[in-house]
Amino acid sequence: MYCGFSEEYMKSSGNTEEQEPRHGELPFSFTPQCVHLHRDHELFEDGDIHRHMYLQDLYTSEVDDKPTLSVSEFACHISGCSAVFSALEEYEHHYNSLHRHVCCSCRRSLPSARLLDIHIQEWHDSLFTILAQRQDMYQCLVEGCGQKFRTSKHRKDHLIRIHKYPPDFRFDKTKKDKGIRETKRLQQKDTNMEVVDDVCESEGVCEVMCGVLSDQPEQGESMETHVSEEEAACMAKPAATEEHAGLSAAVHGNECSSTETLKPRYSYRVPSTVCFGHGSIRGFRGRRGRRK
Amino acid sequence: MWRLNKVRHKAGRQGDSLEELRLKRREHEKALRQARRDRQLVSKRLLLTEDEEQSEVTMDTTSGEQDVVSLFHKLQHSGPEREAHLKALSKALRDPSAQLTFIKQENSMHLLVGLLTGSDAQCRLQAVQCLHKLSHSPHTNVAPACLPATPYLLTYLSGQSTKFTELCLYTLGNLCPDSDAVKEKLLAQGIIPALASCIENQRYNLAVVEAVGFTLSQLLQAKDAAEKIIPMVLASSLPSSLLSVLTPDPKFGLAPAIECAWCLHYLACSSEYSRELLAHGALLQCSSLLLSLGGAVAEGNREEGLELLVCPLLRCVGNLLSICPVDSLSSQVGDVRLVVSLCALLQTYIHTQPALARETAWVLNNLTAHSSAVCSALLTLSLVPGLIQLLPFSQGINTMVLRVLANIAHKKKEFCVQLARLGLLSTLCATLKMADQEMVTLSLEVLFVLLVSRPQADNIPCS
Repeated sequence: MYCGFSEEYMKSSGNTEEQEPRHGELPFSFTPQCVHLHRDHELFEDGDIHRHMYLQDLYTSEVDDKPTLSVSEFACHISGCSAVFSALEEYEHHYNSLHRHVCCSCRRSLPSARLLDIHIQEWHDSLFTILAQRQDMYQCLVEGCGQKFRTSKHRKDHLIRIHKYPPDFRFDKTKKDKGIRETKRLQQKDTNMEVVDDVCESEGVCEVMCGVLSDQPEQGESMETHVSEEEAACMAKPAATEEHAGLSAAVHGNECSSTETLKPRYSYRVPSTVCFGHGSIRGFRGRRGRRK
Repeated sequence: MWRLNKVRHKAGRQGDSLEELRLKRREHEKALRQARRDRQLVSKRLLLTEDEEQSEVTMDTTSGEQDVVSLFHKLQHSGPEREAHLKALSKALRDPSAQLTFIKQENSMHLLVGLLTGSDAQCRLQAVQCLHKLSHSPHTNVAPACLPATPYLLTYLSGQSTKFTELCLYTLGNLCPDSDAVKEKLLAQGIIPALASCIENQRYNLAVVEAVGFTLSQLLQAKDAAEKIIPMVLASSLPSSLLSVLTPDPKFGLAPAIECAWCLHYLACSSEYSRELLAHGALLQCSSLLLSLGGAVAEGNREEGLELLVCPLLRCVGNLLSICPVDSLSSQVGDVRLVVSLCALLQTYIHTQPALARETAWVLNNLTAHSSAVCSALLTLSLVPGLIQLLPFSQGINTMVLRVLANIAHKKKEFCVQLARLGLLSTLCATLKMADQEMVTLSLEVLFVLLVSRPQADNIPCS
């Protein structure tokens, strides 16, 4: 578990009855402490007011109509994502939709583990590219079908003909689409995109499978997850700066006017070599496909 | 409680709609909050007689002022009508501008003091009524004008007439906060020893006890109270007197206990001197009272105004715990089942008065910080599940409750095992996702301790 908390959250040591000796390197330093509150402390404000209302003959036992108790909000702690939620279920839906099946190399979020696996294979695995020249490697996306195809075009045809998929299925973009967008994007000279450029170019011919925002067909490589409308509504904090992380750009993309091109943005606060395990923005999956 | 009853009565009578009343209260509350932020939160009390309560205060300002002037002139002649004139003056002086007019009259205070100290007992009573109205003035220059009367008011505190003594006390209590000059004079004239002997001699006269408590609380709220006033009070017999009247009388009501509890709170806040309070047994007394009050609340007692007493008691216990030496904790706190009462108070107030619930959680933190016995009691008495259920609530409640749970976890491995068995781990899965950074930090700390204490590497049942 990655824990990087600033000094202000470390408590000073007091007299304790801890059963463990203090771990020198670990940042866990909580010690049970008494808290002394001075007379004017803000924790005492409501009680003081209540007291003085009583002294001034304004006491009432009836509870005022104002709602006084509030419930804690939940917030996504993935680096760069600033989404806030009022219920745990909303948070979990957000996390499962946007942060779970994320490709470590190019940070695309896929809807399922299987599609992620396929994506990594087809995008970032050089061995796959080699093998695909000689055998049918492109799996049908429908689970249980089991068929494989020589090219992604064949697979796409199969999906449309046999499984009645729409021709513009989001999770099966062809290399051609990706290429066009890639050039467009490169022309924008967005320096924040270095990681992905690097990865995608080096893989040669490969297909992009990624979620694209439904309202932004050719707006430039979205690279982000598809975000449902309700989720977009939930996001409380709009990104103001360029450095705002990639995944939340999806949301802002949704909220932006369509004239604005969606520029993927990344936060590089965490070193790129660090991975946070399965399901996080930089999962251990797909490491093999990273830049050489 | 006589004061509460009077509020309701008055409100109904004036024909204000409920909504207007609520609006007025909210405005007033806002003003008080601002005053507190400016460190100028001051209240005065007005004691009214039965007929004064009944009569309306609807006269317009100019006629009131004229009344005051003419009454003043009339009072300069002795005679049987003097008492009636004084009564009328007292009524007229309820109006703030009339108060100003009166003190501007030359020798008005001199006259009043003369009547206050004269041979006619009824005139004395009416004179002190007039002074009492003046002391309640919102204008700060009225109090200094009343200074000539204060040595006599103090002298009369050792008298035997209840109503008279009460009026003297509330008058003094109202005068205290108005100016430093007034306060200095009162201290020099011996207000603290006077209060000390008054409450001691009249301890069975609960109306007087309440009045002493109020006056003392006014003194103790002064900005510089810690420098002079608090040491003087602690050196006197006041602390033990205050403690002895802390248990509310079922017939008279909570009012005297409320005043005394607030005095103790102001005393306990000053960290340099509160050790002396410990020596008086304040922690023991306040905790046992909290224990019984909490028990009453748990049984469904919803006596009006109970929180006005619970609040200062909680604060006393909380602050005294923070300066209490760890080895004397068990003797100072007494019955460890105090935690049952505290948890009952927490559950009762969580929705109706969350700020009070937060203060209760604070006391629990201070109780559990250095006592394994208390932590063990929380577990044995099945109080922890209730605490875990409070973790969704913000405004500082969940952070404080999580601290309490962290305190328990840090005591022993067995406690950690029990906490885990009660479902704390899965709750932490939720609290780790909260927006409040302190909650996340504390959750990690607790999680760390729980994991370190596990007998073997078990599966953790959450993402």
